Amino acid sequence: MSNGNLQVGRVLRAGTRGFAIGCAVMQPDIPTFGSFVRAEGQTPGSVIYGLIYDVGVEDDPFVRQFISADPPEEVVRDQRENRQVPIEVSVLAVGCSDGETIRHRLPAQPPVTLDWLYQCSDEEVRAFTACFDYFRLVLEAREVPADELLAASLRAAAAARPEGEREAFLIEAGRELARLLASDPVRLEGLLRRLRNV
Amino acid sequence: MTLELSRLTGQVRAMGEELAARERQFADLVELAHRWLAQYADQGERLRHPARAIRAAIPTGEALDAVHPLPAIPERFTVIAADGSQIQPDRHGVALYYLINVGSLVYRHGSGEAPEAHSEPILGYTEADMYENGLLVGGNLLDVRRDLAEITRLADLCAVEPPGSTMALVDGTLILWVLEDLPAEGRCAKVTAYLDQLDRIRKAGAAVAAFVSRPRRAEVTRLLYLASLDGDVNRATQEPNPLEHLPDRAVFEPLPPGARSALFVSPSPINYEYYHPAGHAVHFCYLNLAEEEHDPVIARVEVPAWVARDHDRLALVHGAVVAQARITGDYPYALARADELAYVSGPERAAFEEMVTTALLRVGVRSSLSPKAYYKSLTRRGRRRYRL
Repeated sequence: MSNGNLQVGRVLRAGTRGFAIGCAVMQPDIPTFGSFVRAEGQTPGSVIYGLIYDVGVEDDPFVRQFISADPPEEVVRDQRENRQVPIEVSVLAVGCSDGETIRHRLPAQPPVTLDWLYQCSDEEVRAFTACFDYFRLVLEAREVPADELLAASLRAAAAARPEGEREAFLIEAGRELARLLASDPVRLEGLLRRLRNV
Repeated sequence: MTLELSRLTGQVRAMGEELAARERQFADLVELAHRWLAQYADQGERLRHPARAIRAAIPTGEALDAVHPLPAIPERFTVIAADGSQIQPDRHGVALYYLINVGSLVYRHGSGEAPEAHSEPILGYTEADMYENGLLVGGNLLDVRRDLAEITRLADLCAVEPPGSTMALVDGTLILWVLEDLPAEGRCAKVTAYLDQLDRIRKAGAAVAAFVSRPRRAEVTRLLYLASLDGDVNRATQEPNPLEHLPDRAVFEPLPPGARSALFVSPSPINYEYYHPAGHAVHFCYLNLAEEEHDPVIARVEVPAWVARDHDRLALVHGAVVAQARITGDYPYALARADELAYVSGPERAAFEEMVTTALLRVGVRSSLSPKAYYKSLTRRGRRRYRL
Protein backbone atom coordinates (compact mmCIF):
# COMPACT_ATOMS: atom_id res chain seq x y z
CA MET A 1 0.00 0.00 0.00
CA SER A 2 1.28 3.46 -0.86
CA ASN A 3 0.27 6.87 0.49
CA GLY A 4 1.32 8.65 -2.69
CA ASN A 5 4.33 10.44 -1.19
CA LEU A 6 6.84 7.73 -1.93
CA GLN A 7 9.49 9.23 -4.18
CA VAL A 8 10.76 6.93 -6.89
CA GLY A 9 13.47 9.27 -8.16
CA ARG A 10 14.11 12.31 -10.31
CA VAL A 11 13.49 12.68 -14.00
CA LEU A 12 16.68 12.21 -16.04
CA ARG A 13 15.20 12.65 -19.51
CA ALA A 14 11.65 12.88 -20.75
CA GLY A 15 9.50 12.83 -23.83
CA THR A 16 5.76 12.85 -24.45
CA ARG A 17 5.57 9.06 -24.61
CA GLY A 18 7.62 8.40 -21.51
CA PHE A 19 10.51 9.31 -19.32
CA ALA A 20 13.53 7.90 -17.52
CA ILE A 21 14.18 8.31 -13.81
CA GLY A 22 17.36 7.95 -11.78
CA CYS A 23 17.22 6.67 -8.25
CA ALA A 24 19.93 5.83 -5.82
CA VAL A 25 18.84 2.67 -4.09
CA MET A 26 16.60 -0.26 -4.86
CA GLN A 27 14.04 -0.07 -2.05
CA PRO A 28 11.99 -3.19 -1.35
CA ASP A 29 8.75 -1.49 -2.42
CA ILE A 30 9.98 0.84 -5.17
CA PRO A 31 10.47 0.81 -8.07
CA THR A 32 8.63 -2.26 -9.34
CA PHE A 33 7.61 -3.29 -12.82
CA GLY A 34 3.99 -2.31 -13.60
CA SER A 35 3.70 0.26 -10.75
CA PHE A 36 1.61 3.37 -11.32
CA VAL A 37 3.64 6.55 -10.89
CA ARG A 38 2.99 10.25 -11.30
CA ALA A 39 5.02 13.34 -12.03
CA GLU A 40 3.92 16.94 -11.88
CA GLY A 41 3.02 18.49 -15.20
CA GLN A 42 4.22 21.92 -16.22
CA THR A 43 0.95 23.70 -15.56
CA PRO A 44 0.09 24.11 -11.88
CA GLY A 45 -1.97 21.21 -10.50
CA SER A 46 -1.50 19.04 -13.56
CA VAL A 47 -0.21 15.50 -13.25
CA ILE A 48 1.28 12.96 -15.67
CA TYR A 49 0.63 9.28 -14.98
CA GLY A 50 2.88 6.47 -16.09
CA LEU A 51 3.68 2.80 -15.72
CA ILE A 52 7.16 1.54 -14.82
CA TYR A 53 8.16 -0.82 -17.61
CA ASP A 54 11.87 -1.27 -17.02
CA VAL A 55 14.23 -1.08 -14.08
CA GLY A 56 17.87 -1.15 -15.05
CA VAL A 57 20.87 -1.22 -12.73
CA GLU A 58 23.60 0.91 -14.29
CA ASP A 59 27.22 -0.08 -14.02
CA ASP A 60 30.54 1.69 -14.33
CA PRO A 61 34.18 0.61 -14.49
CA PHE A 62 34.61 1.04 -10.74
CA VAL A 63 31.82 -1.43 -9.92
CA ARG A 64 33.15 -3.87 -12.53
CA GLN A 65 36.39 -4.10 -10.55
CA PHE A 66 34.57 -5.90 -7.76
CA ILE A 67 32.63 -8.41 -9.83
CA SER A 68 35.32 -11.06 -9.92
CA ALA A 69 36.71 -10.17 -6.49
CA ASP A 70 35.04 -10.91 -3.21
CA PRO A 71 34.50 -7.40 -1.87
CA PRO A 72 33.98 -6.81 1.86
CA GLU A 73 30.44 -6.13 3.03
CA GLU A 74 31.33 -2.45 3.60
CA VAL A 75 32.21 -2.08 -0.10
CA VAL A 76 29.04 -3.83 -1.24
CA ARG A 77 26.95 -1.51 0.91
CA ASP A 78 28.91 1.55 -0.20
CA GLN A 79 28.32 0.69 -3.86
CA ARG A 80 24.63 0.02 -3.26
CA GLU A 81 23.77 2.79 -0.86
CA ASN A 82 26.14 5.68 -1.41
CA ARG A 83 27.20 5.80 -5.03
CA GLN A 84 25.32 8.09 -7.35
CA VAL A 85 22.25 7.13 -9.41
CA PRO A 86 22.99 3.51 -10.20
CA ILE A 87 19.37 2.64 -11.02
CA GLU A 88 17.48 3.87 -14.06
CA VAL A 89 13.72 3.42 -14.20
CA SER A 90 11.83 3.74 -17.49
CA VAL A 91 8.24 4.90 -17.48
CA LEU A 92 5.55 4.75 -20.17
CA ALA A 93 3.19 7.73 -20.08
CA VAL A 94 -0.41 6.49 -19.96
CA GLY A 95 -2.43 9.50 -18.85
CA CYS A 96 -2.62 12.96 -17.47
CA SER A 97 -4.81 15.13 -15.34
CA ASP A 98 -5.48 18.84 -15.10
CA GLY A 99 -6.03 18.40 -11.38
CA GLU A 100 -9.70 17.50 -11.75
CA THR A 101 -10.26 15.07 -14.62
CA ILE A 102 -8.07 12.08 -15.39
CA ARG A 103 -7.59 11.43 -19.10
CA HIS A 104 -6.05 8.33 -20.61
CA ARG A 105 -3.96 9.94 -23.29
CA LEU A 106 -0.44 11.20 -23.81
CA PRO A 107 0.42 14.36 -21.87
CA ALA A 108 0.73 17.60 -23.86
CA GLN A 109 4.16 18.21 -22.34
CA PRO A 110 6.63 15.91 -20.60
CA PRO A 111 7.88 16.50 -17.05
CA VAL A 112 11.05 18.54 -16.63
CA THR A 113 14.52 17.26 -15.79
CA LEU A 114 15.05 16.61 -12.07
CA ASP A 115 11.29 16.67 -11.31
CA TRP A 116 10.37 14.12 -8.66
CA LEU A 117 8.45 11.03 -9.66
CA TYR A 118 6.15 9.56 -7.02
CA GLN A 119 4.49 6.21 -6.64
CA CYS A 120 0.69 6.64 -6.94
CA SER A 121 -1.38 6.15 -3.82
CA ASP A 122 -3.97 3.35 -3.78
CA GLU A 123 -6.65 6.01 -4.12
CA GLU A 124 -4.99 7.45 -7.22
CA VAL A 125 -4.59 3.99 -8.72
CA ARG A 126 -8.29 3.27 -8.17
CA ALA A 127 -9.26 6.61 -9.69
CA PHE A 128 -6.98 6.10 -12.68
CA THR A 129 -8.19 2.56 -13.37
CA ALA A 130 -11.87 3.44 -13.01
CA CYS A 131 -11.92 3.12 -16.78
CA PHE A 132 -9.66 1.18 -19.14
CA ASP A 133 -8.92 3.59 -21.95
CA TYR A 134 -5.18 3.43 -21.13
CA PHE A 135 -5.11 -0.19 -22.35
CA ARG A 136 -4.76 0.96 -25.91
CA LEU A 137 -1.73 3.15 -25.10
CA VAL A 138 0.00 0.18 -23.50
CA LEU A 139 -0.97 -2.39 -26.13
CA GLU A 140 0.25 -0.13 -28.91
CA ALA A 141 3.54 0.85 -27.27
CA ARG A 142 6.28 -0.91 -29.23
CA GLU A 143 9.23 -0.19 -26.99
CA VAL A 144 7.79 -1.94 -23.93
CA PRO A 145 6.85 -5.54 -23.03
CA ALA A 146 3.23 -4.47 -23.45
CA ASP A 147 1.33 -7.60 -22.42
CA GLU A 148 3.45 -8.22 -19.33
CA LEU A 149 3.17 -4.55 -18.43
CA LEU A 150 -0.59 -4.41 -18.80
CA ALA A 151 -1.05 -7.58 -16.73
CA ALA A 152 1.31 -6.24 -14.02
CA SER A 153 -0.54 -2.91 -13.94
CA LEU A 154 -3.88 -4.69 -13.57
CA ARG A 155 -2.51 -6.81 -10.76
CA ALA A 156 -1.32 -3.59 -9.07
CA ALA A 157 -4.72 -1.94 -9.68
CA ALA A 158 -6.54 -4.97 -8.24
CA ALA A 159 -4.28 -4.94 -5.18
CA ALA A 160 -5.20 -1.27 -4.61
CA ARG A 161 -8.88 -2.27 -4.20
CA PRO A 162 -10.62 -3.96 -1.27
CA GLU A 163 -10.34 -7.73 -1.48
CA GLY A 164 -14.04 -8.18 -2.26
CA GLU A 165 -13.83 -5.95 -5.35
CA ARG A 166 -10.73 -7.42 -6.94
CA GLU A 167 -12.26 -10.28 -8.89
CA ALA A 168 -15.03 -8.13 -10.33
CA PHE A 169 -12.42 -5.54 -11.36
CA LEU A 170 -10.30 -8.11 -13.17
CA ILE A 171 -13.33 -9.64 -14.93
CA GLU A 172 -14.30 -6.17 -16.12
CA ALA A 173 -10.73 -5.57 -17.35
CA GLY A 174 -10.78 -8.94 -19.12
CA ARG A 175 -13.98 -7.97 -20.95
CA GLU A 176 -12.37 -4.76 -22.15
CA LEU A 177 -9.33 -6.68 -23.37
CA ALA A 178 -11.61 -9.15 -25.20
CA ARG A 179 -13.19 -6.23 -27.01
CA LEU A 180 -9.82 -4.61 -27.92
CA LEU A 181 -8.13 -7.85 -28.97
CA ALA A 182 -11.07 -9.53 -30.66
CA SER A 183 -9.04 -9.91 -33.82
CA ASP A 184 -6.02 -11.38 -32.02
CA PRO A 185 -7.28 -14.33 -29.95
CA VAL A 186 -3.79 -15.74 -29.31
CA ARG A 187 -2.59 -12.52 -27.73
CA LEU A 188 -5.85 -12.19 -25.79
CA GLU A 189 -5.50 -15.67 -24.39
CA GLY A 190 -1.94 -14.97 -23.26
CA LEU A 191 -3.02 -11.81 -21.48
CA LEU A 192 -6.01 -13.46 -19.79
CA ARG A 193 -3.76 -16.28 -18.60
CA ARG A 194 -1.48 -13.72 -16.98
CA LEU A 195 -4.47 -12.12 -15.26
CA ARG A 196 -5.71 -15.46 -13.95
CA ASN A 197 -2.41 -15.83 -12.09
CA VAL A 198 -3.23 -12.92 -9.76
CA MET B 1 39.08 16.35 -35.21
CA THR B 2 41.93 18.89 -35.13
CA LEU B 3 44.60 16.53 -33.83
CA GLU B 4 46.07 14.94 -36.93
CA LEU B 5 46.92 11.49 -35.62
CA SER B 6 48.47 10.46 -38.92
CA ARG B 7 51.17 13.10 -38.44
CA LEU B 8 52.06 11.64 -35.07
CA THR B 9 52.65 8.06 -36.20
CA GLY B 10 56.41 8.44 -36.62
CA GLN B 11 56.86 10.35 -33.37
CA VAL B 12 54.82 7.80 -31.40
CA ARG B 13 56.88 4.93 -32.85
CA ALA B 14 60.12 6.75 -31.94
CA MET B 15 58.78 7.35 -28.44
CA GLY B 16 58.05 3.64 -28.01
CA GLU B 17 61.57 2.71 -29.09
CA GLU B 18 63.12 5.31 -26.80
CA LEU B 19 61.09 4.09 -23.81
CA ALA B 20 61.99 0.46 -24.51
CA ALA B 21 65.69 1.37 -24.65
CA ARG B 22 65.34 3.27 -21.38
CA GLU B 23 63.68 0.24 -19.76
CA ARG B 24 66.68 -1.91 -20.72
CA GLN B 25 69.04 0.70 -19.26
CA PHE B 26 66.91 0.88 -16.12
CA ALA B 27 67.41 -2.83 -15.49
CA ASP B 28 71.18 -2.27 -15.13
CA LEU B 29 70.62 0.78 -12.92
CA VAL B 30 68.18 -1.09 -10.70
CA GLU B 31 70.76 -3.80 -10.21
CA LEU B 32 73.34 -1.17 -9.26
CA ALA B 33 70.90 0.45 -6.82
CA HIS B 34 70.15 -2.91 -5.18
CA ARG B 35 73.86 -3.59 -4.80
CA TRP B 36 74.45 -0.18 -3.21
CA LEU B 37 71.46 -0.57 -0.89
CA ALA B 38 72.93 -3.80 0.50
CA GLN B 39 76.49 -2.49 0.52
CA TYR B 40 75.77 0.76 2.38
CA ALA B 41 72.84 -0.43 4.51
CA ASP B 42 74.59 0.41 7.78
CA GLN B 43 75.89 3.85 6.71
CA GLY B 44 72.72 5.76 7.64
CA GLU B 45 74.12 7.54 10.67
CA ARG B 46 77.13 8.83 8.70
CA LEU B 47 75.04 10.00 5.77
CA ARG B 48 72.36 11.86 7.72
CA HIS B 49 74.04 15.27 7.62
CA PRO B 50 75.36 15.26 4.03
CA ALA B 51 72.06 13.81 2.75
CA ARG B 52 70.23 16.93 3.84
CA ALA B 53 72.68 19.12 1.93
CA ILE B 54 71.88 17.48 -1.40
CA ARG B 55 68.17 16.88 -0.73
CA ALA B 56 68.53 13.13 -0.54
CA ALA B 57 66.38 10.93 1.69
CA ILE B 58 67.57 11.39 5.26
CA PRO B 59 68.19 8.10 7.06
CA THR B 60 66.65 7.40 10.46
CA GLY B 61 68.21 5.05 12.98
CA GLU B 62 67.49 1.84 11.08
CA ALA B 63 69.39 0.03 8.35
CA LEU B 64 68.70 1.43 4.89
CA ASP B 65 67.66 -1.99 3.62
CA ALA B 66 65.43 -2.84 6.60
CA VAL B 67 62.29 -4.79 5.72
CA HIS B 68 59.21 -4.70 7.96
CA PRO B 69 56.69 -7.43 7.21
CA LEU B 70 52.97 -6.70 7.21
CA PRO B 71 51.83 -6.48 10.84
CA ALA B 72 48.73 -8.28 12.07
CA ILE B 73 45.75 -6.29 10.82
CA PRO B 74 43.21 -5.58 13.58
CA GLU B 75 39.67 -6.85 13.06
CA ARG B 76 38.12 -3.42 13.59
CA PHE B 77 39.65 -0.10 12.60
CA THR B 78 38.53 3.02 10.77
CA VAL B 79 40.02 4.70 7.73
CA ILE B 80 38.98 8.26 6.96
CA ALA B 81 40.03 9.57 3.58
CA ALA B 82 39.56 13.05 2.15
CA ASP B 83 40.28 14.50 -1.24
CA GLY B 84 39.44 17.80 -2.88
CA SER B 85 38.83 19.32 -6.27
CA GLN B 86 38.37 22.91 -7.30
CA ILE B 87 36.94 25.21 -9.93
CA GLN B 88 39.51 27.90 -10.59
CA PRO B 89 38.34 31.51 -10.80
CA ASP B 90 37.69 32.40 -14.42
CA ARG B 91 37.73 36.04 -15.43
CA HIS B 92 35.95 35.04 -18.65
CA GLY B 93 33.14 33.34 -16.73
CA VAL B 94 29.74 34.66 -15.67
CA ALA B 95 31.12 35.75 -12.28
CA LEU B 96 34.41 35.71 -10.42
CA TYR B 97 34.35 32.92 -7.86
CA TYR B 98 36.14 29.76 -6.89
CA LEU B 99 34.75 26.50 -5.64
CA ILE B 100 36.45 23.86 -3.54
CA ASN B 101 34.68 20.53 -3.13
CA VAL B 102 35.99 18.18 -0.46
CA GLY B 103 34.90 14.56 -0.61
CA SER B 104 35.43 12.25 2.34
CA LEU B 105 34.69 8.66 3.23
CA VAL B 106 34.63 7.08 6.68
CA TYR B 107 35.23 3.37 6.20
CA ARG B 108 34.86 1.14 9.27
CA HIS B 109 36.68 -2.11 8.55
CA GLY B 110 35.03 -5.18 9.98
CA SER B 111 31.76 -3.40 10.79
CA GLY B 112 29.73 -4.57 7.80
CA GLU B 113 28.29 -1.03 7.73
CA ALA B 114 27.99 1.21 4.69
CA PRO B 115 30.77 3.81 4.84
CA GLU B 116 29.79 7.41 5.55
CA ALA B 117 30.18 9.44 2.37
CA HIS B 118 30.32 13.23 2.48
CA SER B 119 30.82 15.98 -0.01
CA GLU B 120 31.33 19.53 1.20
CA PRO B 121 31.48 22.45 -1.24
CA ILE B 122 33.04 25.78 -0.24
CA LEU B 123 32.32 28.80 -2.42
CA GLY B 124 34.66 31.81 -2.43
CA TYR B 125 33.30 35.04 -3.90
CA THR B 126 33.90 38.03 -1.61
CA GLU B 127 36.80 40.43 -2.23
CA ALA B 128 38.48 38.99 0.85
CA ASP B 129 38.03 35.45 -0.52
CA MET B 130 39.25 36.24 -3.98
CA TYR B 131 42.44 38.23 -3.37
CA GLU B 132 45.54 37.67 -1.27
CA ASN B 133 48.09 40.50 -1.19
CA GLY B 134 46.56 41.79 -4.41
CA LEU B 135 46.86 38.41 -6.14
CA LEU B 136 43.82 36.57 -7.45
CA VAL B 137 43.35 33.33 -5.50
CA GLY B 138 44.00 30.73 -8.17
CA GLY B 139 46.76 28.27 -9.01
CA ASN B 140 48.99 27.46 -6.06
CA LEU B 141 47.06 29.78 -3.70
CA LEU B 142 43.87 27.85 -4.37
CA ASP B 143 45.69 24.50 -4.18
CA VAL B 144 46.83 25.45 -0.69
CA ARG B 145 43.27 26.34 0.33
CA ARG B 146 42.07 23.00 -1.02
CA ASP B 147 44.79 21.12 0.89
CA LEU B 148 43.84 22.99 4.06
CA ALA B 149 40.16 22.18 3.52
CA GLU B 150 41.03 18.48 3.09
CA ILE B 151 43.15 18.23 6.24
CA THR B 152 40.60 20.25 8.24
CA ARG B 153 37.86 17.88 7.13
CA LEU B 154 39.99 14.92 8.23
CA ALA B 155 40.67 16.54 11.60
CA ASP B 156 36.94 17.24 12.09
CA LEU B 157 36.06 13.63 11.33
CA CYS B 158 38.86 12.22 13.51
CA ALA B 159 37.68 14.37 16.43
CA VAL B 160 34.45 12.37 16.74
CA GLU B 161 36.07 8.93 16.50
CA PRO B 162 37.25 6.92 19.51
CA PRO B 163 41.05 7.16 19.89
CA GLY B 164 43.46 4.41 18.96
CA SER B 165 42.06 2.77 15.88
CA THR B 166 41.56 5.51 13.30
CA MET B 167 43.78 6.46 10.38
CA ALA B 168 43.28 9.65 8.41
CA LEU B 169 44.49 9.39 4.83
CA VAL B 170 45.30 12.02 2.21
CA ASP B 171 46.25 11.56 -1.41
CA GLY B 172 49.73 12.83 -2.30
CA THR B 173 51.98 14.37 0.28
CA LEU B 174 51.71 15.71 3.82
CA ILE B 175 54.03 18.56 2.90
CA LEU B 176 52.05 21.63 2.00
CA TRP B 177 53.47 22.89 -1.25
CA VAL B 178 53.54 26.67 -1.00
CA LEU B 179 55.27 28.69 -3.67
CA GLU B 180 58.50 30.18 -2.42
CA ASP B 181 57.75 33.59 -3.95
CA LEU B 182 54.96 34.12 -1.41
CA PRO B 183 55.89 36.56 1.41
CA ALA B 184 57.50 34.63 4.31
CA GLU B 185 54.77 35.69 6.72
CA GLY B 186 52.03 34.40 4.42
CA ARG B 187 53.83 31.10 3.85
CA CYS B 188 54.35 30.63 7.57
CA ALA B 189 50.65 31.30 8.29
CA LYS B 190 49.53 28.75 5.73
CA VAL B 191 51.90 26.01 6.85
CA THR B 192 51.08 26.71 10.50
CA ALA B 193 47.35 26.38 9.75
CA TYR B 194 48.07 22.98 8.17
CA LEU B 195 50.21 21.87 11.11
CA ASP B 196 47.44 22.91 13.51
CA GLN B 197 45.17 20.36 11.83
CA LEU B 198 47.85 17.66 12.16
CA ASP B 199 47.94 18.56 15.87
CA ARG B 200 44.18 18.09 16.10
CA ILE B 201 44.47 14.65 14.51
CA ARG B 202 47.24 13.69 16.94
CA LYS B 203 45.19 14.92 19.92
CA ALA B 204 42.19 12.92 18.69
CA GLY B 205 44.32 9.78 19.11
CA ALA B 206 44.30 9.00 15.40
CA ALA B 207 47.16 8.41 12.97
CA VAL B 208 47.59 10.29 9.71
CA ALA B 209 49.30 9.28 6.48
CA ALA B 210 49.67 10.41 2.90
CA PHE B 211 49.59 7.91 0.05
CA VAL B 212 51.50 8.37 -3.20
CA SER B 213 50.58 6.02 -6.02
CA ARG B 214 53.36 5.17 -8.51
CA PRO B 215 55.81 7.57 -6.81
CA ARG B 216 58.46 9.19 -8.96
CA ARG B 217 60.69 10.71 -6.29
CA ALA B 218 64.38 9.84 -6.48
CA GLU B 219 65.47 10.69 -2.93
CA VAL B 220 66.62 7.26 -1.76
CA THR B 221 68.50 6.68 -5.01
CA ARG B 222 70.23 10.04 -4.45
CA LEU B 223 71.16 8.86 -0.97
CA LEU B 224 72.65 5.66 -2.39
CA TYR B 225 74.68 7.68 -4.86
CA LEU B 226 75.94 9.83 -1.97
CA ALA B 227 76.83 6.66 -0.06
CA SER B 228 78.80 5.39 -3.05
CA LEU B 229 80.86 8.62 -2.84
CA ASP B 230 81.54 8.07 0.84
CA GLY B 231 79.20 10.93 1.76
CA ASP B 232 81.21 13.52 -0.19
CA VAL B 233 78.71 16.32 -0.86
CA ASN B 234 81.02 18.19 -3.23
CA ARG B 235 81.49 15.21 -5.50
CA ALA B 236 77.81 14.37 -5.27
CA THR B 237 76.84 17.81 -6.57
CA GLN B 238 79.52 17.97 -9.26
CA GLU B 239 79.65 14.49 -10.71
CA PRO B 240 76.82 12.93 -12.70
CA ASN B 241 74.57 10.63 -10.70
CA PRO B 242 73.93 7.43 -12.69
CA LEU B 243 70.72 6.87 -10.66
CA GLU B 244 69.44 10.41 -11.18
CA HIS B 245 66.31 9.38 -13.07
CA LEU B 246 65.73 6.11 -11.29
CA PRO B 247 62.68 6.43 -9.03
CA ASP B 248 62.95 5.09 -5.50
CA ARG B 249 60.16 2.63 -6.13
CA ALA B 250 62.44 0.64 -8.44
CA VAL B 251 64.85 0.13 -5.54
CA PHE B 252 62.11 -1.34 -3.35
CA GLU B 253 60.46 -3.70 -5.81
CA PRO B 254 62.03 -6.73 -4.08
CA LEU B 255 60.01 -5.95 -0.89
CA PRO B 256 57.90 -9.01 0.00
CA PRO B 257 54.12 -8.61 -0.43
CA GLY B 258 52.69 -6.33 2.27
CA ALA B 259 56.12 -5.37 3.63
CA ARG B 260 57.49 -1.86 3.99
CA SER B 261 60.98 -0.39 3.73
CA ALA B 262 62.93 1.51 6.35
CA LEU B 263 61.69 4.97 7.27
CA PHE B 264 63.46 8.04 5.92
CA VAL B 265 62.95 11.74 6.59
CA SER B 266 61.82 13.96 3.74
CA PRO B 267 64.61 16.37 2.70
CA SER B 268 62.14 19.11 1.71
CA PRO B 269 63.23 22.51 3.09
CA ILE B 270 59.66 23.18 4.27
CA ASN B 271 59.90 19.98 6.31
CA TYR B 272 62.94 21.30 8.15
CA GLU B 273 61.81 24.90 8.40
CA TYR B 274 58.28 24.32 9.68
CA TYR B 275 57.31 20.67 10.22
CA HIS B 276 60.37 19.57 12.19
CA PRO B 277 60.22 22.30 14.90
CA ALA B 278 56.49 21.63 15.37
CA GLY B 279 57.06 17.90 15.93
CA HIS B 280 55.56 16.87 12.58
CA ALA B 281 58.75 16.11 10.58
CA VAL B 282 57.53 14.12 7.62
CA HIS B 283 58.94 10.59 7.35
CA PHE B 284 58.32 8.24 4.47
CA CYS B 285 58.70 4.63 3.50
CA TYR B 286 57.89 2.43 0.52
CA LEU B 287 55.34 -0.33 0.71
CA ASN B 288 54.59 -3.31 -1.50
CA LEU B 289 50.79 -3.47 -1.69
CA ALA B 290 50.63 -6.63 -3.80
CA GLU B 291 49.28 -9.91 -2.54
CA GLU B 292 51.36 -13.10 -2.58
CA GLU B 293 52.38 -14.26 -6.06
CA HIS B 294 51.47 -10.96 -7.69
CA ASP B 295 53.80 -8.43 -9.29
CA PRO B 296 54.98 -5.80 -6.82
CA VAL B 297 52.96 -2.59 -6.50
CA ILE B 298 55.15 -0.06 -4.74
CA ALA B 299 53.61 3.00 -3.12
CA ARG B 300 55.13 5.72 -1.00
CA VAL B 301 53.55 6.46 2.37
CA GLU B 302 54.32 9.59 4.39
CA VAL B 303 53.70 10.00 8.10
CA PRO B 304 54.56 12.72 10.63
CA ALA B 305 57.25 12.08 13.26
CA TRP B 306 54.72 11.30 16.01
CA VAL B 307 53.35 8.43 13.92
CA ALA B 308 56.81 7.27 12.84
CA ARG B 309 57.92 7.00 16.48
CA ASP B 310 54.77 5.37 17.81
CA HIS B 311 54.88 1.63 17.15
CA ASP B 312 51.11 1.13 17.38
CA ARG B 313 50.20 4.07 15.16
CA LEU B 314 52.82 3.11 12.59
CA ALA B 315 51.58 -0.49 12.55
CA LEU B 316 48.02 0.78 12.12
CA VAL B 317 49.07 2.91 9.12
CA HIS B 318 51.03 0.01 7.59
CA GLY B 319 48.21 -2.51 8.00
CA ALA B 320 45.39 -0.12 7.13
CA VAL B 321 47.01 1.14 3.91
CA VAL B 322 47.61 -2.43 2.71
CA ALA B 323 44.10 -3.53 3.71
CA GLN B 324 42.56 -0.56 1.90
CA ALA B 325 44.67 -0.98 -1.24
CA ARG B 326 43.93 -4.69 -1.47
CA ILE B 327 40.21 -3.99 -1.76
CA THR B 328 40.79 -2.52 -5.20
CA GLY B 329 44.10 -4.27 -5.86
CA ASP B 330 46.54 -1.38 -5.75
CA TYR B 331 44.99 1.85 -4.47
CA PRO B 332 43.17 2.65 -1.21
CA TYR B 333 39.44 2.22 -1.74
CA ALA B 334 38.60 5.12 0.58
CA LEU B 335 40.82 7.49 -1.41
CA ALA B 336 39.27 6.40 -4.70
CA ARG B 337 35.82 7.12 -3.26
CA ALA B 338 36.87 10.42 -1.69
CA ASP B 339 38.15 11.52 -5.10
CA GLU B 340 34.87 10.49 -6.68
CA LEU B 341 32.94 12.43 -4.05
CA ALA B 342 35.09 15.52 -4.62
CA TYR B 343 35.13 15.48 -8.39
CA VAL B 344 33.07 18.19 -10.09
CA SER B 345 32.07 16.87 -13.51
CA GLY B 346 31.55 19.01 -16.61
CA PRO B 347 27.73 18.80 -16.47
CA GLU B 348 27.78 19.61 -12.72
CA ARG B 349 29.95 22.61 -13.39
CA ALA B 350 27.61 23.77 -16.16
CA ALA B 351 24.60 23.31 -13.86
CA PHE B 352 26.37 25.30 -11.14
CA GLU B 353 27.16 28.14 -13.53
CA GLU B 354 23.53 28.22 -14.58
CA MET B 355 22.60 28.45 -10.91
CA VAL B 356 24.97 31.40 -10.48
CA THR B 357 23.54 33.14 -13.56
CA THR B 358 19.99 32.70 -12.26
CA ALA B 359 20.92 33.95 -8.78
CA LEU B 360 22.51 37.05 -10.30
CA LEU B 361 19.48 37.69 -12.51
CA ARG B 362 17.19 37.50 -9.47
CA VAL B 363 19.06 40.41 -7.90
CA GLY B 364 19.07 42.38 -11.12
CA VAL B 365 22.62 41.61 -12.28
CA ARG B 366 22.90 40.61 -15.91
CA SER B 367 25.97 38.48 -16.40
CA SER B 368 27.42 36.66 -19.33
CA LEU B 369 30.52 34.90 -20.53
CA SER B 370 33.26 37.05 -22.03
CA PRO B 371 33.22 37.00 -25.86
CA LYS B 372 36.30 34.74 -25.80
CA ALA B 373 34.66 32.23 -23.45
CA TYR B 374 31.40 32.39 -25.41
CA TYR B 375 33.02 31.46 -28.71
CA LYS B 376 35.10 28.75 -27.06
CA SER B 377 31.87 27.31 -25.71
CA LEU B 378 30.50 27.20 -29.26
CA THR B 379 33.54 25.79 -31.01
CA ARG B 380 34.53 23.24 -28.38
CA ARG B 381 31.10 21.81 -27.75
CA GLY B 382 31.09 19.58 -30.82
CA ARG B 383 27.97 18.23 -32.41
CA ARG B 384 25.25 17.00 -30.13
CA ARG B 385 22.56 14.48 -30.76
CA TYR B 386 19.35 14.94 -28.89
CA ARG B 387 17.26 11.96 -27.99
CA LEU B 388 14.28 11.25 -25.75
